[in-house]
Amino acid sequence: MNEREDVPKDFIKLKSEKLSVDEVSELVISPCCGAVSLFIGTTRNNFEGKKVIRLEYEAYTSMAEMEIKKICRDVRQKWPSVKHIAMHHRLGVVPITEASVIIAVSSPHRAESLEAVTHCINTLKAFVPIWKKVCLVQIWF
Amino acid sequence: MGHPQPPWVTVLYFARSAELVGLRSESVSVPQRITSLQLWEEIVKIHPRLAVIRDQVVFAVRQEYVLLGDQLLVLQTGDEVAIIPPISGG
Repeated sequence: MNEREDVPKDFIKLKSEKLSVDEVSELVISPCCGAVSLFIGTTRNNFEGKKVIRLEYEAYTSMAEMEIKKICRDVRQKWPSVKHIAMHHRLGVVPITEASVIIAVSSPHRAESLEAVTHCINTLKAFVPIWKKVCLVQIWF
Repeated sequence: MGHPQPPWVTVLYFARSAELVGLRSESVSVPQRITSLQLWEEIVKIHPRLAVIRDQVVFAVRQEYVLLGDQLLVLQTGDEVAIIPPISGG
Protein backbone atom coordinates (compact mmCIF):
# COMPACT_ATOMS: atom_id res chain seq x y z
CA MET A 1 0.00 0.00 0.00
CA ASN A 2 1.29 3.48 -0.89
CA GLU A 3 1.83 5.13 2.50
CA ARG A 4 1.05 8.57 1.13
CA GLU A 5 -2.49 7.27 0.40
CA ASP A 6 -2.95 6.07 3.97
CA VAL A 7 -4.38 9.38 5.26
CA PRO A 8 -7.09 9.12 7.91
CA LYS A 9 -10.45 8.50 6.31
CA ASP A 10 -14.09 8.38 7.39
CA PHE A 11 -16.30 5.85 5.61
CA ILE A 12 -19.98 6.70 6.12
CA LYS A 13 -22.80 4.81 4.44
CA LEU A 14 -26.57 4.54 4.84
CA LYS A 15 -27.94 1.80 2.61
CA SER A 16 -30.79 -0.66 2.30
CA GLU A 17 -28.66 -3.64 1.30
CA LYS A 18 -27.37 -6.16 3.84
CA LEU A 19 -24.33 -4.88 5.74
CA SER A 20 -21.02 -6.74 5.59
CA VAL A 21 -18.68 -7.08 8.55
CA ASP A 22 -15.84 -8.09 6.20
CA GLU A 23 -16.36 -5.02 4.04
CA VAL A 24 -16.53 -2.57 6.95
CA SER A 25 -13.52 -3.97 8.79
CA GLU A 26 -11.43 -4.07 5.61
CA LEU A 27 -12.14 -0.37 5.03
CA VAL A 28 -10.27 0.63 8.21
CA ILE A 29 -7.31 -1.72 8.03
CA SER A 30 -4.02 0.18 7.88
CA PRO A 31 -0.38 -0.90 7.96
CA CYS A 32 0.35 1.52 10.82
CA CYS A 33 -2.46 0.13 12.98
CA GLY A 34 -2.27 -2.84 15.28
CA ALA A 35 -5.91 -2.67 16.32
CA VAL A 36 -9.30 -2.73 14.60
CA SER A 37 -12.28 -2.50 16.95
CA LEU A 38 -15.76 -3.37 15.77
CA PHE A 39 -19.33 -2.89 16.95
CA ILE A 40 -22.20 -4.73 15.29
CA GLY A 41 -25.80 -3.87 16.23
CA THR A 42 -28.18 -6.70 15.37
CA THR A 43 -31.95 -6.91 15.54
CA ARG A 44 -33.42 -8.73 18.53
CA ASN A 45 -36.51 -10.91 18.39
CA ASN A 46 -38.20 -9.33 21.42
CA PHE A 47 -39.38 -5.87 22.45
CA GLU A 48 -41.21 -5.17 25.71
CA GLY A 49 -42.18 -8.81 26.06
CA LYS A 50 -43.59 -9.11 22.55
CA LYS A 51 -42.21 -11.11 19.64
CA VAL A 52 -40.59 -8.97 16.92
CA ILE A 53 -40.72 -10.15 13.35
CA ARG A 54 -38.54 -7.42 11.85
CA LEU A 55 -37.36 -3.84 12.23
CA GLU A 56 -37.74 -1.08 9.67
CA TYR A 57 -35.37 1.85 9.74
CA GLU A 58 -35.84 5.31 8.27
CA ALA A 59 -33.48 8.29 8.31
CA TYR A 60 -33.34 12.01 7.68
CA THR A 61 -30.54 11.02 5.38
CA SER A 62 -28.75 14.29 4.68
CA MET A 63 -28.75 15.29 8.34
CA ALA A 64 -27.84 11.78 9.52
CA GLU A 65 -24.74 11.78 7.31
CA MET A 66 -23.77 15.21 8.69
CA GLU A 67 -24.25 14.09 12.28
CA ILE A 68 -22.15 10.98 11.63
CA LYS A 69 -19.42 13.19 10.14
CA LYS A 70 -19.54 15.27 13.35
CA ILE A 71 -19.06 12.07 15.38
CA CYS A 72 -15.99 11.22 13.32
CA ARG A 73 -14.54 14.73 13.86
CA ASP A 74 -15.25 14.39 17.57
CA VAL A 75 -13.51 11.00 17.71
CA ARG A 76 -10.40 12.39 16.01
CA GLN A 77 -10.26 15.26 18.50
CA LYS A 78 -10.61 12.97 21.53
CA TRP A 79 -8.41 10.13 20.21
CA PRO A 80 -5.91 11.71 17.81
CA SER A 81 -4.17 8.41 17.08
CA VAL A 82 -7.33 6.92 15.52
CA LYS A 83 -6.67 6.20 11.86
CA HIS A 84 -9.80 5.20 9.94
CA ILE A 85 -13.44 5.20 10.99
CA ALA A 86 -16.24 3.34 9.21
CA MET A 87 -19.91 3.68 10.18
CA HIS A 88 -22.48 1.82 8.09
CA HIS A 89 -26.18 1.87 8.96
CA ARG A 90 -28.87 -0.10 7.20
CA LEU A 91 -32.17 1.48 6.22
CA GLY A 92 -35.49 -0.15 5.37
CA VAL A 93 -36.35 -3.67 6.49
CA VAL A 94 -33.80 -5.48 8.66
CA PRO A 95 -34.75 -9.12 9.46
CA ILE A 96 -34.07 -10.57 12.90
CA THR A 97 -30.39 -11.30 13.70
CA GLU A 98 -29.15 -9.23 10.77
CA ALA A 99 -26.96 -6.20 11.37
CA SER A 100 -28.55 -2.75 11.47
CA VAL A 101 -25.28 -0.95 12.17
CA ILE A 102 -21.58 -1.77 11.90
CA ILE A 103 -18.86 0.53 13.25
CA ALA A 104 -15.13 -0.11 12.80
CA VAL A 105 -12.21 2.00 14.03
CA SER A 106 -8.48 1.43 13.59
CA SER A 107 -5.65 2.76 15.74
CA PRO A 108 -2.02 1.85 16.41
CA HIS A 109 -2.85 0.42 19.84
CA ARG A 110 -6.05 -1.15 21.11
CA ALA A 111 -7.20 1.30 23.85
CA GLU A 112 -8.06 4.14 21.48
CA SER A 113 -10.05 2.16 18.94
CA LEU A 114 -11.99 0.30 21.68
CA GLU A 115 -12.92 3.58 23.37
CA ALA A 116 -13.69 5.30 20.07
CA VAL A 117 -16.08 2.57 18.92
CA THR A 118 -18.00 2.84 22.20
CA HIS A 119 -18.22 6.59 21.77
CA CYS A 120 -19.40 6.20 18.16
CA ILE A 121 -22.34 3.91 18.91
CA ASN A 122 -23.41 5.83 22.03
CA THR A 123 -23.34 9.17 20.20
CA LEU A 124 -25.06 7.73 17.13
CA LYS A 125 -27.94 6.55 19.29
CA ALA A 126 -28.22 9.97 20.95
CA PHE A 127 -27.85 12.33 18.00
CA VAL A 128 -28.22 10.77 14.56
CA PRO A 129 -31.75 11.21 13.10
CA ILE A 130 -32.57 7.57 12.37
CA TRP A 131 -35.72 5.82 13.58
CA LYS A 132 -36.63 2.16 13.95
CA LYS A 133 -40.12 0.80 13.60
CA VAL A 134 -40.62 -2.39 15.53
CA CYS A 135 -42.95 -4.81 13.72
CA LEU A 136 -44.59 -7.06 16.28
CA VAL A 137 -46.45 -10.31 16.41
CA GLN A 138 -48.84 -10.28 19.36
CA ILE A 139 -49.52 -13.66 20.94
CA TRP A 140 -52.72 -14.53 22.82
CA PHE A 141 -52.12 -16.83 25.77
CA MET B 1 -39.55 48.56 -1.93
CA GLY B 2 -42.35 46.60 -0.28
CA HIS B 3 -42.18 44.02 2.49
CA PRO B 4 -40.60 40.70 1.46
CA GLN B 5 -42.97 37.77 0.97
CA PRO B 6 -43.27 35.40 3.93
CA PRO B 7 -40.97 32.46 3.27
CA TRP B 8 -42.15 29.03 2.13
CA VAL B 9 -40.25 26.46 4.18
CA THR B 10 -40.10 22.72 3.44
CA VAL B 11 -41.50 20.82 6.42
CA LEU B 12 -40.24 17.21 6.63
CA TYR B 13 -42.11 14.57 8.63
CA PHE B 14 -40.47 11.41 10.01
CA ALA B 15 -41.54 8.25 11.83
CA ARG B 16 -44.65 8.79 14.00
CA SER B 17 -45.15 12.36 12.78
CA ALA B 18 -45.27 11.14 9.16
CA GLU B 19 -47.91 8.56 10.12
CA LEU B 20 -50.03 11.15 11.95
CA VAL B 21 -49.88 13.63 9.07
CA GLY B 22 -49.96 11.15 6.17
CA LEU B 23 -47.18 13.07 4.42
CA ARG B 24 -43.41 12.99 4.15
CA SER B 25 -42.99 16.66 3.22
CA GLU B 26 -44.82 19.81 2.21
CA SER B 27 -44.22 23.51 1.64
CA VAL B 28 -45.63 25.75 4.37
CA SER B 29 -45.79 29.56 4.46
CA VAL B 30 -44.61 30.93 7.81
CA PRO B 31 -43.56 34.30 9.21
CA GLN B 32 -39.89 35.06 8.55
CA ARG B 33 -39.19 35.67 12.26
CA ILE B 34 -40.88 33.22 14.58
CA THR B 35 -40.08 31.32 17.75
CA SER B 36 -39.72 27.56 17.53
CA LEU B 37 -42.83 27.12 19.69
CA GLN B 38 -44.85 29.46 17.43
CA LEU B 39 -43.62 27.50 14.41
CA TRP B 40 -44.86 24.27 16.01
CA GLU B 41 -48.24 25.89 16.65
CA GLU B 42 -48.47 27.00 13.00
CA ILE B 43 -47.85 23.44 11.86
CA VAL B 44 -50.35 21.99 14.34
CA LYS B 45 -52.99 24.40 12.98
CA ILE B 46 -52.58 22.64 9.62
CA HIS B 47 -52.28 19.13 11.13
CA PRO B 48 -54.07 19.03 14.52
CA ARG B 49 -53.28 15.30 14.93
CA LEU B 50 -49.66 16.27 15.61
CA ALA B 51 -50.67 17.74 18.99
CA VAL B 52 -50.39 14.31 20.65
CA ILE B 53 -46.60 14.19 20.15
CA ARG B 54 -45.87 17.77 21.21
CA ASP B 55 -43.92 16.72 24.32
CA GLN B 56 -41.72 14.27 22.43
CA VAL B 57 -40.55 16.19 19.39
CA VAL B 58 -37.82 18.63 18.53
CA PHE B 59 -37.22 20.46 15.29
CA ALA B 60 -34.24 20.33 13.00
CA VAL B 61 -34.02 23.70 11.25
CA ARG B 62 -31.46 23.76 8.44
CA GLN B 63 -30.24 20.46 9.94
CA GLU B 64 -29.55 21.85 13.42
CA TYR B 65 -31.62 20.61 16.34
CA VAL B 66 -33.91 23.22 17.93
CA LEU B 67 -36.07 22.64 21.02
CA LEU B 68 -39.67 23.82 21.01
CA GLY B 69 -39.54 27.08 22.95
CA ASP B 70 -38.44 30.70 22.83
CA GLN B 71 -35.60 30.34 20.36
CA LEU B 72 -36.07 32.91 17.59
CA LEU B 73 -35.79 31.51 14.10
CA VAL B 74 -35.12 33.60 10.99
CA LEU B 75 -36.44 31.59 8.07
CA GLN B 76 -35.97 31.83 4.31
CA THR B 77 -37.75 30.21 1.42
CA GLY B 78 -36.40 26.72 0.87
CA ASP B 79 -35.22 26.20 4.46
CA GLU B 80 -35.81 22.65 5.70
CA VAL B 81 -37.72 22.29 8.96
CA ALA B 82 -37.90 18.67 10.10
CA ILE B 83 -40.15 17.28 12.82
CA ILE B 84 -37.91 14.95 14.85
CA PRO B 85 -39.67 12.37 17.07
CA PRO B 86 -37.47 10.51 19.60
CA ILE B 87 -34.63 8.97 17.61
CA SER B 88 -33.92 5.24 17.79
CA GLY B 89 -31.10 4.43 15.41
CA GLY B 90 -28.29 1.96 15.95
